[in-house]
Amino acid sequence: MFDHVDSYHRPRSIREAVRLLHTGGRRARVVAGGTDVIVQADPTIRSLVDITQLGLSYIRKIGTSWTIGSTTTLAGVEESAAIRGLAGGILATAAAGCGSVQVRNMATLGGNLVNASPAADTAVPLLVMDASVVLAGATRRRTLPLDRFFAAPGRTTLREELLVEILLPIPARGGHWGWSFRKLGRTESDLSLVSAAAGLQVDARGVCKTVRIALGAVAPTPVRAGGAEALLLGQKLTVERMAQACEQAARDVTPISDLRAPADYRREMARLLVERALRDCVQQAGVTL
Amino acid sequence: MKRMTIRLTVNAEAREWSIAPGDLLLDVLRREGYFGVKRGCEKGECGACTVLVDGKPINSCLMFAAQADGRDVLTIEGVAQGDHLDPLQEAFLDHGAVQCGYCTPGMILNAKALLARNPNPTEDEVRDAMSGNYCRCTGYVKPVEAVLAAVKAARRRP
Repeated sequence: MFDHVDSYHRPRSIREAVRLLHTGGRRARVVAGGTDVIVQADPTIRSLVDITQLGLSYIRKIGTSWTIGSTTTLAGVEESAAIRGLAGGILATAAAGCGSVQVRNMATLGGNLVNASPAADTAVPLLVMDASVVLAGATRRRTLPLDRFFAAPGRTTLREELLVEILLPIPARGGHWGWSFRKLGRTESDLSLVSAAAGLQVDARGVCKTVRIALGAVAPTPVRAGGAEALLLGQKLTVERMAQACEQAARDVTPISDLRAPADYRREMARLLVERALRDCVQQAGVTL
Repeated sequence: MKRMTIRLTVNAEAREWSIAPGDLLLDVLRREGYFGVKRGCEKGECGACTVLVDGKPINSCLMFAAQADGRDVLTIEGVAQGDHLDPLQEAFLDHGAVQCGYCTPGMILNAKALLARNPNPTEDEVRDAMSGNYCRCTGYVKPVEAVLAAVKAARRRP
């Protein structure tokens, strides 16, 4: 399957890895876990650059953020007590639903993002956690909010760079938070037909201080539901307002029909999953509607 | 075609193999005679090619052989101690959990890793952990019974 590959590199530094990617151009491919690279079986690949020796497998607290090294496996994310305790554990929940144990032991968080599938399950909770990605080029690093990282199905805004870290800000104190990740798939571990995540911060009067809603598999990239968020932000939560927000989320998405589900069904399920996610948040935040 | 050398441990024996840079671990293991590593879907769905790498179950069809350099691989051939089958192997036999046998090595290795990290799993935890090992003969009732029986037997042992 990979008969045309003529070199397998295991660089020891980020600089060396970036140089190898530059030299290899379009024919070089990064291998972290390898689970997507192998399934895609791109016959044009000549050079594989294994980035698992760069010391990028870690989960640490730095200042007011948690930071996850890009080659941390999905199993590592799922099992981390810190990640389970952050934002209602929605990232750990999503990671636990990405394929089988065997896949999660190899697949990495960075790989799930760089692969840029519209259905990438970890991207959806990361969007509502307001995650950023740290990209390392030959000479400099830049930090990008995750919603500016995805460009199109299978395409990111990386330019001869490595995704080295994912930054997760610790949610602001005050009021009550609620978090949820909801996924619809043929089975728990199958690729999502639709996925949704929400994070709500509500003050003592039931007014929304922060509203974040994201959806997967209903647009060319995982997306924030800005229209729905705007309907709730600064408002007191009511059954009617929440229903309007769900309708808005469904109107704003642009799903396609494929072998997994028709577009109309995806749109309707986007509405339903946002409704369920918001209800989870309301319940956790202790709001009575 | 350039070749490269990998050094690894397979079933507690040191190995040094010459591989092509794009070789998959599944192909190399079978080429080297470990036929208990089964070729199934080759897409990471079915789990028939499961082996343990550093104690963790992985699909060997979704791993480059080069990724196994310096690591510790366990295949079904290394599970028994001489003539003594692993308690999981005994349990699979005792409970009729083996039909055609194609999925069995992957199931036993995955279950072995599960019991190493969680010696006392519930039925739900067993089913969840083994959801990446497909059986196309009959189903999962007998394999799940076998794993739970091995758990019980381990508890009885002093």
